Amino acid sequence: MVDLSLRGIKKRFRTVDVLHGIDLEIKDKELVVFVGPSGCGKSTLLRLVAGLDPITDGEFWMAGTKMNDVAPSRRGIAMVFQSYALYPHMDVYENMTFGARLMGLDNAEVERRIAEAARMLRLDALLKRRPKELSGGQRQRVAIGRALVRKPELLLLDEPLSNLDAALRSEVRLEIAKLHRDIGGTTIYVTHDQVEAMTLADRIVVMNQGRVEQFGSPRELYETPANTFVATFIGSPQMSLLEMERDGDRIGIAGTGSVVPGRLPAADERQVIVGVRPDAVVITPGEDGEGLSARVVYTEYLGDNAFTYVRLANGQLISVRCTPDTEFAIDAPVRVGLLPNKAHFFSSATKQRLPA
Amino acid sequence: MFTKQLTGRRLWIAALIMPPLVFVCLFIVYPIISAFAYAFFEWSGLARGDFVWFENFHKVLFVEPFASRTVNAFSHNVFVFFALMVFQNGLGFVLAYFLWRELPGFRFHRIAVFLPVVLSTIVVGFLWRLFFHPLFGPVNAGLKALGLGFLTQPWLGQDTTALWSIVFANAWHMVGFPTLVFLAGMQRIPGEVLDAVRMETQSEWVKITKIVWPLVAPSATVVFTLLFVGAFNWFELPYIMVGLEGSPHGSTDVLGLYFYRTAFGNQSGAPPDFGAGSALAVLIFLFIAIVAGTLTIRMRRREIEL
Repeated sequence: MVDLSLRGIKKRFRTVDVLHGIDLEIKDKELVVFVGPSGCGKSTLLRLVAGLDPITDGEFWMAGTKMNDVAPSRRGIAMVFQSYALYPHMDVYENMTFGARLMGLDNAEVERRIAEAARMLRLDALLKRRPKELSGGQRQRVAIGRALVRKPELLLLDEPLSNLDAALRSEVRLEIAKLHRDIGGTTIYVTHDQVEAMTLADRIVVMNQGRVEQFGSPRELYETPANTFVATFIGSPQMSLLEMERDGDRIGIAGTGSVVPGRLPAADERQVIVGVRPDAVVITPGEDGEGLSARVVYTEYLGDNAFTYVRLANGQLISVRCTPDTEFAIDAPVRVGLLPNKAHFFSSATKQRLPA
Repeated sequence: MFTKQLTGRRLWIAALIMPPLVFVCLFIVYPIISAFAYAFFEWSGLARGDFVWFENFHKVLFVEPFASRTVNAFSHNVFVFFALMVFQNGLGFVLAYFLWRELPGFRFHRIAVFLPVVLSTIVVGFLWRLFFHPLFGPVNAGLKALGLGFLTQPWLGQDTTALWSIVFANAWHMVGFPTLVFLAGMQRIPGEVLDAVRMETQSEWVKITKIVWPLVAPSATVVFTLLFVGAFNWFELPYIMVGLEGSPHGSTDVLGLYFYRTAFGNQSGAPPDFGAGSALAVLIFLFIAIVAGTLTIRMRRREIEL
């Protein structure tokens, strides 16, 4: 049983503040993904949890014990590194037994755990090989195996898929999801890839510039992003943000037209940022009619889907999901309409979500 | 067209290789081969006498008093090798580890440790001969100042401490070299591998013996082999600090000094004996070549690519 509590965690490297006070409560058996652009501090935060770097300020608690000054090897944590970090002079078997033996387990127990991990990760045939003789995917499995053999209370994974090619990546992603279901320990997973985050996580921590932008389930993040950063970071192609003006039940852009979005935010700000995902927009060909006037820039055909990019009269680009059989000539005039109740509203000043 | 280019390229390679090749042949290969040849002749002064087969070898290995001198000198070389292995390479590894862990002041010490290496052996030899001077030397003066006056010794003048003192001077001089080589080896170890160990143990001992040491194997091969060659070719430092006789009483005599005395004579009037000297030189060369070769091959097997 481990639940984690991060309270006001700060990290400073010399004079640079990297983390500005992180507060998180992570539940037992949860798979939490830290996601954010590179340099947002997600890997730094993971290293603080692991104990590899000291915490500058704030407290880290695991299952009711303060962990700030506990050595990494005493925290009951195992970590899978981005480069796998296998010991190059040991074969697969030795790589996996090294840590287990240091825990003081007897031989029979170590053998039992190795056999279990080898079976689960299909490593039986590789036990006598050195890391050099393994492919990227195999090394990855060994690294995970080495972590599992220690039966950690908390498993940390630092961008574990980033060194794999695209085909292998989705395969290993499924394996990790299955492993977590089977073993069920608390897991923290760091990635910069929002697809990995969405598919794996129970809950996602979106980070940006050393701060947590939002902490919630994939669905919450997608359906009710807390601010414009989360709104544009989650979802692909990303949400388009439009500076618009309210006028009664309509919102519009001067010289471009106006639309009726349905539900409007409760706050009565006139100037708002409207976020629209590609599937919240419809386009109809022609100069005239309801909606915002725009011109087609280009169309991406993806087989089961197509995305049309249009430029509004004020110069702003919007992506629109269409059925694959729609075809627009480049530069053709279109009208852009909104599906009812699909738009997100954010404050122009604070960039925070305006609740309906 | 293609052949022409190839010829041009070959010409270039030949032109670049020839000068050093000539140099090596003239000043290294030729002297070694001549020494081989000299060792099979009888010599009187600089005049070559009869071809005597293995008599010179037999003399330095089995005829008294030459044989016991050879054994005495060889045993000192062995001692020097092991003493330097501990005090020079061992200390070098430890120093490298501390420098690598970036303890406070590591920038200063990184340079300080290596500084003596750039001094000439002649300078170091004279420096330490002065330092060890029984009356005026800073070593004894320092001991007295610390209230350890009872420890003052004629360091280079008695057979119990003379060889140790030269070994100490050698270690002081050269410890920066193994330090630098080990440090370079340690810096090649990927940071995440070290993080991985830290996740599994907090014991520095386990970290050093199970991870760092095996991973700096290539550095160990280099410094061990070079130390072996250096220890059995040892000449300059004892020559400068205690003289050609390996004094006192042959307690610092090593193969280098003994070879030099035999081949070129010495102040006490022994005549030069080119034949016996060359035989010694050949034996030293073969010993070093065979052992160093085997050592390198065996230690290479321990190395793994990172």
